[in-house]
Amino acid sequence: MAPLHDRNAVTADRNRRERMRHLSDRATRLGGGTVVTIAALLLLIPAALVVALSFSNDKYFNFPPRSWGTRQYHTLFTSPQWGDAIWLSVKIAVPAVVLSTLIAVPAVFAINRSRLPLRHALQAAGVTSLIVPLSAYAVAMYGVFVQLHLLATYLGLVIANTVLAFPMILVVTTAAMSRIPVELELAAMTAGASRLRAWAGITLRLLIPAILAGAVLAFITSFDEAVFINFLGGPGQVTLPKAVFDSVRFGVDPVITAIATLLMLFTSVLMLIALRLRRTGQ
Amino acid sequence: MTDEIALDIQEVSKAFGATNALERVTLQVHRGEFLTLLGPSGSGKTTLLRMIVGFESPTAGRILLGGRDISGLSPADRSAGMVFQQYALFPHMTVADNIAYGLKLRRWPRAEQRERVGEMLDLVRLEGYEARYPRQLSGGQQQRVALARALAYDPEIILMDEPLGALDRALRIEMEQVIRRIHRDLEATVVYVTHDQQEALALSDRIAIMRDGRLQCVDTPEELYYRPASSFVASFFASSNLLPVTLVERLGPDSARVRYGQDELSCRVAGEIAGPVQLAVRRRSLRREPSPNCLVVRGTVAETLLFGDEREVILDVPDAGRVVALIAAHAAADLAVGQPVELYVPPEETVLVTDVDAGAPGTAGDADAPLQPDALAVGP
Repeated sequence: MAPLHDRNAVTADRNRRERMRHLSDRATRLGGGTVVTIAALLLLIPAALVVALSFSNDKYFNFPPRSWGTRQYHTLFTSPQWGDAIWLSVKIAVPAVVLSTLIAVPAVFAINRSRLPLRHALQAAGVTSLIVPLSAYAVAMYGVFVQLHLLATYLGLVIANTVLAFPMILVVTTAAMSRIPVELELAAMTAGASRLRAWAGITLRLLIPAILAGAVLAFITSFDEAVFINFLGGPGQVTLPKAVFDSVRFGVDPVITAIATLLMLFTSVLMLIALRLRRTGQ
Repeated sequence: MTDEIALDIQEVSKAFGATNALERVTLQVHRGEFLTLLGPSGSGKTTLLRMIVGFESPTAGRILLGGRDISGLSPADRSAGMVFQQYALFPHMTVADNIAYGLKLRRWPRAEQRERVGEMLDLVRLEGYEARYPRQLSGGQQQRVALARALAYDPEIILMDEPLGALDRALRIEMEQVIRRIHRDLEATVVYVTHDQQEALALSDRIAIMRDGRLQCVDTPEELYYRPASSFVASFFASSNLLPVTLVERLGPDSARVRYGQDELSCRVAGEIAGPVQLAVRRRSLRREPSPNCLVVRGTVAETLLFGDEREVILDVPDAGRVVALIAAHAAADLAVGQPVELYVPPEETVLVTDVDAGAPGTAGDADAPLQPDALAVGP
């Protein structure tokens, strides 16, 4: 047994260490909280400012606005220029998403349910457009489109947007596919289903939420696309992002704050739908 | 069980790349028989099952079901029902729809489908669960639905791949009873894969023991347990100890005299004897009390473990390595680690076996089936 004063020293030492740990825990909590708050503010303030500015009734940008109202929204919905741009964006995004789905879903089956040589390289190649810098990609595509006479055509824009949208569906669907055991298909086939029937009735059916989630993300990607259109689009082809760019190039039109607000709302709703779909798929 | 042959596996081999997963397996299963493929992992038992059901195709040989060559058929055309270890129920379908899946494909009229689903649910004791989804069921219930799904369209053969592997101990025993009862009631032909010899003992009419892609032997549980044909069967199936002995003389087709250390004794012979031999002694055959002409095993206690009514006593025996005995707990209470001890084995409980591990090791590999079954693969 240790002498009493030794034991006291040991106890005091332990108490000191416990206090230090306590203090450092509190500092970490406080510091962590501060960082999170700053990060959240940095992310949200610009968005909040845009939303606030969209309710300015001024004809020009003023901060803070001199008067409040729905003038920007009114302009947006009454001038044909913006409506046409939105319509073109939709007209490009919808077929691009459909095409992407038609290519990506069979590709997911080929990559995950076949013995094709180099199928994993195929998967990597499929997501290239997510990795290559967009402007570099666009320049290369410009070269190709010139030769194929696709430059400044509607078909060309649909193809370019398909290339961009495709990886979204590929990635989301592949992730879902990896959670579907092969045994389900084997069980279906033993029970009397052909391979096609097992795929369509079981695997594809289980992939539908993921495919829809991927399609929503693909739509957003195409709808927001602002680089390809500048390289590959012609004079008459103004999508919504291009219209926004053009409007800021020659003097600032406060209408874009209304557009931005609506876009944010629209995208958030779509993202929520995508998230919900992926959850139901699991 | 009848004499009619339901499943006839003829000289079937399977190679995955350069490794032979299965080598010239020949095996017959009778109608109404419960046959278990038993073996350690990598022995080829699952590969063989997957070839019967059609997920893999044999590299050589033929498989006949009800006299029909099914080797090249798609799983859909084979009239087999399959139960998987992980249940493999369709998560987006109710219990009733899962069970009716094979009936729908066979275009049964709706009313008959409903009636059959009801019968199947009665059979697996899940009345009232029609509208549930698989995720709302326990593991044992899911496996019972899987069993009902496989049985519903009355296939010629039921194949089960470690169906109890994902269940806990209590549920396993309950499911064993369900499977046994269903096999008896329906007189179904069952091929069952497991690596658990207790399960094989409890369920099977016959057991096929596999090792390194080869069929070691096929026999009833009693024969395999009490009269093993080789050292591998003795140690793997009955967890027998293998003692080094030399053959003195054969006394007839099923007995022989052997020498163990300085002692000579008579023992039984079950299989072919060729080359080096060993004496198989089951763990419960080692006793504290001597009997006439008994085998004496001398060693020191290395470890003892209480199992309840019995105590496992592990001995270090010179020349034989570790010998494991299961002795009534009260008779082994005095045994302490490090203590020298003599245990006695009645001669009629010893079996002379060929030491199959003394020769060259098997060439067949530990090849596991590839992730991509033949049945699902596209392309070459």
